[in-house]
Amino acid sequence: MSGGNTKPVKKKMNKAEFKEHCWGLTFVAPAFIGFCIFMAFPIAFAFVASLTKWNGMNNMLDNFIGLANYTKLLTDAKFWKVLVNTIIYMVGIPIGMILGLLIAVAMNRKIRGIKVLRTLYYVPVVSSLVAVAILWMWVFNYDYGLLNSIVKLISGAHGPNWLGDEFWVKISMIIFMVWKGLGSSIILYLSGLQGIPRDYYEAAQIDGASGWNLFRYITVPLVSPVTFYLLITGLIGGFQVFVEVLVMVPTGGLNYSAATVVFYLYDKAFGSNQMGYGSAMAFLLAILIFIVTAINFKGQDKWVKTIE
Amino acid sequence: MKLRKVSAIILATVLAVGTILTGCGGKDSSTTSDGKKNLSVFIFANDHESPIYKGMIEQWQKDHEDTIGNVDVQITTQDEYSKTLTGMMTAQKLPDIFYVGPESVQQFVENGYIENLQPLLDKQGISTDDLVAKEALNSYRYDGEKVGEGDLYALPKDASVFAYAYNKDLFDKEGIPYPDPENPYTYDEFVEVCKKFTKDTDGDGEVDQWGCGLANAFMVQQYIWSNGATFLSDDYKTVEIDKPEFKEALQKYIDLTVTHKVTPTVEQDASLGVYQRWLAGQEAFYACGTWDVAAFMDKETFPFNWDLCAYPTLSTGKSMTWLGTVGFCVSANSKNKEEAAELVSYLCANEDGQKELSGVVGGQSIQLPNLASLAEGEFRTAIESGDLPFPSNVDVFFNYLSGNDKYEGRFQETTYTPNAEWFDEFTANLDNVKNGSMTVDEFVKEYQPKMQEALDNAWDSVE
Repeated sequence: MSGGNTKPVKKKMNKAEFKEHCWGLTFVAPAFIGFCIFMAFPIAFAFVASLTKWNGMNNMLDNFIGLANYTKLLTDAKFWKVLVNTIIYMVGIPIGMILGLLIAVAMNRKIRGIKVLRTLYYVPVVSSLVAVAILWMWVFNYDYGLLNSIVKLISGAHGPNWLGDEFWVKISMIIFMVWKGLGSSIILYLSGLQGIPRDYYEAAQIDGASGWNLFRYITVPLVSPVTFYLLITGLIGGFQVFVEVLVMVPTGGLNYSAATVVFYLYDKAFGSNQMGYGSAMAFLLAILIFIVTAINFKGQDKWVKTIE
Repeated sequence: MKLRKVSAIILATVLAVGTILTGCGGKDSSTTSDGKKNLSVFIFANDHESPIYKGMIEQWQKDHEDTIGNVDVQITTQDEYSKTLTGMMTAQKLPDIFYVGPESVQQFVENGYIENLQPLLDKQGISTDDLVAKEALNSYRYDGEKVGEGDLYALPKDASVFAYAYNKDLFDKEGIPYPDPENPYTYDEFVEVCKKFTKDTDGDGEVDQWGCGLANAFMVQQYIWSNGATFLSDDYKTVEIDKPEFKEALQKYIDLTVTHKVTPTVEQDASLGVYQRWLAGQEAFYACGTWDVAAFMDKETFPFNWDLCAYPTLSTGKSMTWLGTVGFCVSANSKNKEEAAELVSYLCANEDGQKELSGVVGGQSIQLPNLASLAEGEFRTAIESGDLPFPSNVDVFFNYLSGNDKYEGRFQETTYTPNAEWFDEFTANLDNVKNGSMTVDEFVKEYQPKMQEALDNAWDSVE
């Protein structure tokens, strides 16, 4: 590919170029058509629906109410509550990144059975989300759970009602999400680490750098593209947390303490047949994700380093 | 080179065409090429129910071979059903026959999705006189203004009730006489009985056997209604949980857990649900829906002897529970309405079909018979002779279904509201009181406005 800084000049294509152009279009077409049908159309549809009092049964366009759904959302205490819940869950993102990096560093050496270890950490990633969520419900179980058995063994006292308590349910969800996502951060960090040239470390060691300084000034900056990628995907995924809640706390938790934005919008749209309202929430969420992602991309120059 | 090019073209075309085609149906599928009528059916059913329905439909198709071509049956789970149906409505691809609940009749009619069955039934001379559950039948009537009156828009697939059950073996073990199905316990009697069951049986200092188990979402209504209270005003527009009789009933419901401690605590419920504890033989009383009978009669699921009884009564002296029903309706856009109506009436009221569904034939009861003649005749004989495994106090079901001076069943109030969010607000947060962190008064004060708001939103969404 030639550089993109020259302005494209419109000129007549010769036959060979035209043919290549057509080939290009042909190969792009499936993805593009798929995008239109499964992404662009639903988004546009959701926007139109969000301006109506559509309940799934009535005629959508006959029930046009303008921006009323959006103004109602702004004063909907439950919406703010689930938004705060969603953001609290994002505490898991930095925790997951730090743990991921540390474990990746530990795994980036020649130890016996390292491949087995790496595979083990990756198992949660490829497991079915629903299945492992059910498994973790048992870990968090008040009387019979693994976690409370350990708590009892260590402290002698009965552990918390993990999924039934307003505070602990959030901790439980964060623990679960970090566990589920750890494998992929480790793998990504590992590949990032392996891309760092050995000589950087050697040069620094000759200059007398300690182990911590090597990590602080070489490793961390040079895996920053991975960190950036994990941050972006983590944030986008974080806003969309749904299945975890649906499986582990199907009612949304005591006083709706575990519900997320997507859980609430699903509940509104499919539980109470307020498709219009649900769509408004979905659209707002899309805008929110867009803004957060844009800010991140804007800020990346400040801290994301690339190896040239 | 050539080969690579060709395969590339094929690959690209297949991908593109494949993407375009998904979602586009087309072509009229209502008749076969030789003029026979095709029908499509969309319902939800449990795994053990599906083969029975499929078999019934196959049989009907065989009996009408000269006029009916294919009957396409799609079965999903109850959870997925309404979402899929909404999708079908949006795509304007409704099957000829599908389920409708009483709560949706009005909306489906007004939005033009379901057909008035009355003229079709009249024309074919199909009578609904023998149907057992009149209240269930009437819930599918709509006269343009009011549900419950006017023409029929669906026929009930079934009518079910949520009765009470007791573990006979536990009663024997504790030496307590069985409850009398003719004379329901009063609340106080019930508490006394339950206290006798609640104990630590293995001596580890923790209670592991209880009088009863209570699940807020479906076991609080019995207490509220029996005290003469309701959740909503008569027009279903106002939340009335702040009325004294409501609060009194709610207090008594809560007391079972907090004061009398005859149920598992909220934490214990969180670790093992009340249903599992009943199946494990840890509770003397638990609710049993008509749909639960087959599972409870199966010794693998529930290895204890059990029978039916009535819920305890509060100030009205009447034992209350809720009824449920789901009905078959015919799509307003169906091209073969007459045939569809005929199949619907077959599924609801055909004697052979009902025999199979109620277990008179086959010995596994999925539902109570829809036909009065069958319910009072062969169904009962089969139970008495032991051919059909069923609790001997089967009358408890029928008493609730048809009502008398000691029994009454009614539809949940959510049946009459556009959605159940206001009710979920109540049941999901009631644990705040059940775990002792809130009083009934505080709960009512905090959640009455929230429920009202959800209810207002619900009504607003259909205006």
